[in-house]
Amino acid sequence: MGFIMDGLDAEEYDRSYTDGELVRRIVGYFKPQAGRMAVVAVAVLAASALNTAIPIYISSSLDQLTETIGTNQLIQIAIGLIVLGALGYVFNAIRQWVSAATVGNVTLKLREDTFDAVLKRDLSFYDSIPSGKIVSRVTSDTQAFSAVVNLTSELMSQLLLVFLLLGYLFFVNVQLTLLTLALAPFIVIVALGFRKIARDTVTQSRRVNAEVNKHIQETISGIRVAKTFRQEGAVYDDFLNVNEQSYGINLRTGYTFSSIFPILNTIAGIGTAALVYFGGLAVRNPVVSLTAGEWYLFIQGIALFWFPLTSIASFWSQFQLGLAAGERMFALIDAETKLEQTDDHISIPEMKGAISFKNVDFSYVDGETVLESFTLDIAAGETLALVGHTGSGKSSIGKLISRFYEFQDGTITVDDVDIRTLDLHDYHRQLGIVTQTPFMFDGTVADNIRYGTEDATDEDVERVANMIANGDWLRSLQQGLETQVGERGASLSMGQRQLVVLARVLLQNPSIFILDEATASVDPLTETLIQEGLDTVLENRTSLVIAHRLSTIKNADRIIVLDNGQILEEGTHDELMAQQRHYAHLYDTYFRHQSLDYIESSPIA
Amino acid sequence: MATQNQSEFSVESAYVYDHRSPVRWIFSHVWRYKGLFLFAILMYMVAWTSFGGARVLIGQAAEEIINPTAANGLMIASLSVLGILILDGISALMGSLSIETIAQRLSRDSREELYISLLGKSQTFHDQQRVGDIMARSTDDVQQLNVMINPGLLFISEIILGMIVPMTYIATIDWRLLLVPIIFVFFYAGFIGYYRRMLNPVIGTQRYSFGQMNAGLEETISGIEIVKASASEKFERKKFYEAAKKYRDSFAKQGRVEARYLPTLFYAFALGLTFLHCMYLYNISALNIGQIIAVMGLVGAMRFPIFISIFAFSLVELGLAGANRILELINSEAELDENLAGHTASVRGDITFENVSFGYDESPILQDLSFTINSGETVAIVGQTGSGKSTLTELINRTYDVTQGRILIDGVDVRDWNLNALRSQISRIEQDIFLFSRTLAENIAFGAPNATQDEIEQAAKEAQAHNFILSFNEGYETTVGERGVTLSGGQRQRIALARAFLSDPRILILDDSTSAIDSATEDDIQKAIQRAQKGRTTLLITHRLSQIRWADHILVIDDGRIAAYGNHDELLRKSDLYRRIFARYDAELPPLETAQAQ
Repeated sequence: MGFIMDGLDAEEYDRSYTDGELVRRIVGYFKPQAGRMAVVAVAVLAASALNTAIPIYISSSLDQLTETIGTNQLIQIAIGLIVLGALGYVFNAIRQWVSAATVGNVTLKLREDTFDAVLKRDLSFYDSIPSGKIVSRVTSDTQAFSAVVNLTSELMSQLLLVFLLLGYLFFVNVQLTLLTLALAPFIVIVALGFRKIARDTVTQSRRVNAEVNKHIQETISGIRVAKTFRQEGAVYDDFLNVNEQSYGINLRTGYTFSSIFPILNTIAGIGTAALVYFGGLAVRNPVVSLTAGEWYLFIQGIALFWFPLTSIASFWSQFQLGLAAGERMFALIDAETKLEQTDDHISIPEMKGAISFKNVDFSYVDGETVLESFTLDIAAGETLALVGHTGSGKSSIGKLISRFYEFQDGTITVDDVDIRTLDLHDYHRQLGIVTQTPFMFDGTVADNIRYGTEDATDEDVERVANMIANGDWLRSLQQGLETQVGERGASLSMGQRQLVVLARVLLQNPSIFILDEATASVDPLTETLIQEGLDTVLENRTSLVIAHRLSTIKNADRIIVLDNGQILEEGTHDELMAQQRHYAHLYDTYFRHQSLDYIESSPIA
Repeated sequence: MATQNQSEFSVESAYVYDHRSPVRWIFSHVWRYKGLFLFAILMYMVAWTSFGGARVLIGQAAEEIINPTAANGLMIASLSVLGILILDGISALMGSLSIETIAQRLSRDSREELYISLLGKSQTFHDQQRVGDIMARSTDDVQQLNVMINPGLLFISEIILGMIVPMTYIATIDWRLLLVPIIFVFFYAGFIGYYRRMLNPVIGTQRYSFGQMNAGLEETISGIEIVKASASEKFERKKFYEAAKKYRDSFAKQGRVEARYLPTLFYAFALGLTFLHCMYLYNISALNIGQIIAVMGLVGAMRFPIFISIFAFSLVELGLAGANRILELINSEAELDENLAGHTASVRGDITFENVSFGYDESPILQDLSFTINSGETVAIVGQTGSGKSTLTELINRTYDVTQGRILIDGVDVRDWNLNALRSQISRIEQDIFLFSRTLAENIAFGAPNATQDEIEQAAKEAQAHNFILSFNEGYETTVGERGVTLSGGQRQRIALARAFLSDPRILILDDSTSAIDSATEDDIQKAIQRAQKGRTTLLITHRLSQIRWADHILVIDDGRIAAYGNHDELLRKSDLYRRIFARYDAELPPLETAQAQ
């Protein structure tokens, strides 16, 4: 009902597609639905014509009544009216039925295409757009776009009705039609004026509502503190203030929305009264051939007429919204991945995992070099720990090996094969990755361990779970492997999640393992289990660890100290400590408090 | 009125609403403004009466045109139509504004009522609620109440008046003409119930499948690194395609259900048959043309309710569901009583657990715990997540009550203490430390609003927070959360410790999982916590090995039971679990006394 206020959220978007291009793409999606679209168009046309015919039919029937007619004829007239109404219903039903299927199909195809496009992108894409926005492009933008189709067919049927009726009215009496039309500018101006006011008040309301919500959220989150210190009264007074303010502003918005229809109705009422008078004069004037029935047609017409006019006011911005949504989708579909795989698609069946960087240049953003002429050889089966300050390039090395980003110069090889010639799908199967915040999919612990190795049996899952820290961690799970992890693993602790993903990697049994160690602390018992599990995973596997744990670093075969994308030092913990240079300094800054000496030193008084 | 709940906070002048059922509750809110409400109803009645009257007047105008009675007859008829339609517009406007005012007041009042009730709930209650859930009730559900009144209630009144008023006018023209409209209303009312039962599940399915599709996609995108690294793109694609297809199916189904909305068809029959009836009565000279026009116009007015019905009933239904959820929250009772007559004394800090068990029905969280902590001692609690560590400490300040056994503080069962006396002397520092969007000074002095700046700074110094506070541009006047001022976990913790120094509790419970990224911060945190332990009984749930190592006692909890209790050296000999921690550090361990293990 509030269609006059629809589309108030419309924003201006930069258009990067020409109208022609956009239309061509849109038409492309509707082509497979051409049959259905034709049915919808016919139904719209027919329903509009029938709806126009009803008042005309009533009017002319009224005029027939002035002559004496028999009961049979009366029944025929009535049946005619019923048939018109019933057919209108039928065509409208056909339109709804078929267009729901059409729109549903087009949306589905669009969603599939956007989803595929998203999945093909490299990770730099995911860095540049927040995940929420990607999701809304795939689900909401496709929805908004399809809504335009419905909107257009709705508007078309209404406009058609107006034009058919107006055409007929002109044919009946030009002056009265012009009188009716004189109302149109008033209605449109009032409608547009209201939209302008509403746009402002809605924005203010939204702001003040956010304010109230923020206040409540804060109170509830901090209720323990408020209670412990008995500060409820002060918090309540703050709330009253905000709540009252919100009431005032929302009332104004509400008044805007509540007054529009009564006001438009009054305008239409003035028009009706004018038609009663001038139409009446016309009927009485013998020069003008206007019948009483036709006079009544004008009165009915005005009611049919002003309703569609108000929806035109909001159509354009809604239409723009839909087109903008369409553009965002097409932009998503058209964008290419930045990865440049050559056509070779080589598979390495028995990958050993020797990795070599030769003079690699890499930057995420042009001009901000992360690695410059970087050279590093990692032997098959070696455990390599990367240490350095934030921004030293530690994680970039892992990401390049994962082939998540494109590097600009130099070569990276795996088992002496250029990484750009590898079959990516096949290569990723031999890669195990644990991110800093372990990622969980909704499902059971077992489902999560099996992720990426869908064909593993239950026994396999159980076996690897028990290989991690003797399976001692499973006891802390309520239903063991069948425990539901909740959304993003919310029902598990951080430590438990780390254990699950270690088991996942073990099941995948990759040739290369990349670990970005978590920085968050875990209780000492679980930490011990994680470390034990990690020992198992690292064994006999080329491993690259972006290390934050002293014990991991100490156990590594080799430590690389990085700064600004350059290797400053390399060696084992003891060797590097003996040198008393960069590593020793890093140790004192980041790792000293994890050492046994620190734990054993008596409390600082 | 409803039974009064126990409450920890109340407002004296608060208006009392009826809490017995959602309908009564909403009605008592609306009835608070009965004058306005009755005025709104009156205005709508005037509006509909005018609108219907206009149809009759138009009919009379038609008659006047065909058979003029006076020279200015047409002018009078037109002016009456104008007058009555303007009356219609003005009264509709007044009614609409009144209803809107009531709707907005209902939002404001119910939010306030809920807020007061939330402040009055016990901590136990708040511990069991998720913030997101309470937020949903106080925002979405309150909004739902608003639209239930306007336009929901408004539409319902339009439906009722839009049927009754035209039919009344028709009856005054010729009561026989009511035949068809009555049959129509009968069919219409019967079908609406059936249709809603058909449509509601379809809409529900559609909403659900959209949610599923969205959630699945969100998960895929968030975990894209893992998806790609596991080469699971095909798996994810299949999952998404299936979800999107399900949504398409339910979308198309909704279209098919909506296409079968029969009242429009019923109306076509009603219009045709009424016309027939009119023409018949005209033929037997019981009706004139003007009256036919009036009747057709009145039947035309009955068309409006058909379009808003579905919408209107859903709005009311959603509003009632929202009201029910809000009421649930308001009506839920706290389990603990304040025990005002209970033991009140200064706490020394001896804590004794005697065969304490705790849990819900079949799932025990803690089983048969017995141990003693002497005043001034520090006890570190060690255990895996889910072992019951936090719950154990929450039994001490009666956040929860034990299900078996008892806990004594200074020899008195916690259940015999005055709740206020007990809680005010026990301070808990949570894992997630909450800071209000106020200045740092106000956050530190939250429990002691009268503290001087000197006292605040002294507390901050003891908590090792003074230096980092001064590193902010506005020092103690820095507002948390403003202009990107965010505090790290370690900084938050030290603000919380400063709070504790200022309120000086006898028993301190510290749930400390804060991780320091660098050693210097770690030094500061250690210092602050050690300072806090001094002179008070302290329970530490901590990840910091050095604090565990130097605690007076260490309590190892495994699966809700005490696995070991003793000091560091004892536990290295007695507890395999505990040894395992230090084994990783290549520490020299004493031989394990296997006989005494377990």
